[in-house]
Amino acid sequence: MMVLVVLEGVVLALLAVLVVGLLRTHAEILRRLHDLGAGVYDDQAVPGSPASPAGPAPVALRTQPGVAEPRTTATPAFDLAGTTPDGAAAVISVVDRPHTTLLAFLSSGCTTCRGFWDAFAQGEADHLPGLDTHLVAVTKGSANESPAKVRELARDSVRTIMSSEAWLDYAVPVSPYFVLVDGRTGRVLGEGSGTTWEQVSGLLEQACADAGLTSTGAPSRSRRGGLGPDGPTRERRADEELARAGIGPGHPSLYGQTDPEPIGPTDETSVRAEPGAGIPPGPAPEAPA
Amino acid sequence: MSRLSAHGLSVNLSGGWEGEIYLRPPDVAAATAPAAMGGRNASQGTATTQFPVLQLANFALPSQRGDFGGGAVELMEAHSLFVSLFEYGRESVGTALFASSTVPWPVSADTFGPNRLQRPLPGQAGAQWFFTQSGRPFCLYVVLGSYLLRRATLRPLNRVLHTIAIG
Repeated sequence: MMVLVVLEGVVLALLAVLVVGLLRTHAEILRRLHDLGAGVYDDQAVPGSPASPAGPAPVALRTQPGVAEPRTTATPAFDLAGTTPDGAAAVISVVDRPHTTLLAFLSSGCTTCRGFWDAFAQGEADHLPGLDTHLVAVTKGSANESPAKVRELARDSVRTIMSSEAWLDYAVPVSPYFVLVDGRTGRVLGEGSGTTWEQVSGLLEQACADAGLTSTGAPSRSRRGGLGPDGPTRERRADEELARAGIGPGHPSLYGQTDPEPIGPTDETSVRAEPGAGIPPGPAPEAPA
Repeated sequence: MSRLSAHGLSVNLSGGWEGEIYLRPPDVAAATAPAAMGGRNASQGTATTQFPVLQLANFALPSQRGDFGGGAVELMEAHSLFVSLFEYGRESVGTALFASSTVPWPVSADTFGPNRLQRPLPGQAGAQWFFTQSGRPFCLYVVLGSYLLRRATLRPLNRVLHTIAIG
């Protein structure tokens, strides 16, 4: 009998410990839910809210530190104004465009961004989904970034603009960060970050599909331009070769004359045809009447 | 409305226009200046002087392109417009070619022709004007995406040209 009483006492003590443990666990769960803003203990339910009073209150999503949080409201798009890595003043238009533009906000310092620069240089972004999507890399301005370093990273593989204002306009939280702009509506279609180009291109494809944009997969026109034999290299080479041959702007041989007259200091024809450095485009330059 | 300004040139851009103002690489100036001057005073050429080029377009300019649009005009569509304002060396001031002291805009549709392009492309038309403004000699070169639509595309062209300021 005595043994049974002792056993019963031990069982009761164990059960008491178990109950206390369960209560503590429950309290911890409730505390965590409260910290997450689940509104478990909310006294005032929002009138008219579909979740009140019986349903759970909406939970505010949070991201890990360092990961950009989603924007709460849709953001309008802005044109980009700044300088190129070569020092040229530039304005790039992304609004009032018949195509989509993917803005890649990158920096020269972050190691994650390096993967994206390399991917662009290797042509992995030549085929972008969407509406003839153009790619533009955006770094902060020369006060925050080294133009030489950015030029080295961009390697002429992607159109790049340095603009701290653009980072402010688009409220870019971290780098790398990507914003997809619909030029027709002037709105941001989607935005986010990733650690690899594969991730970002997957998100881009999804965003374009959600928006009902045709996935053309056509080579980016901003990259295609000027890379072929018909581009500026050809133009510059032609200029230089003509110059080496002594053929400048207005030279008679350019206009079908088989027996060009010698150029003399008092020759009015030669004076009219000497606009200085560079070779004017088009047919024979015409002197104003 | 975005304002593009550098090297004494500025322009207001809106409605899908974009642009760049850059300095021509000195090697091009060095290579072309002596020939352009007929070899008369090559030693006084502009080899070390860089002059700006202002380029405007209502389509996406490629990152690599020539001063007169090589590499860009190939991407133009019917309503596309390309503008290059090209500054020449000071030695050109006072020559007959640059005698006009007024800016050429507003430009008229009759000036454009398919045979006035640096590189003729089907359907396109171009025109160029030489003038001197604020003591600086310029060539304005414009390419229209469509010769047939030249009258329709002139309004936005002249609108943006009117905002160009030369200091």
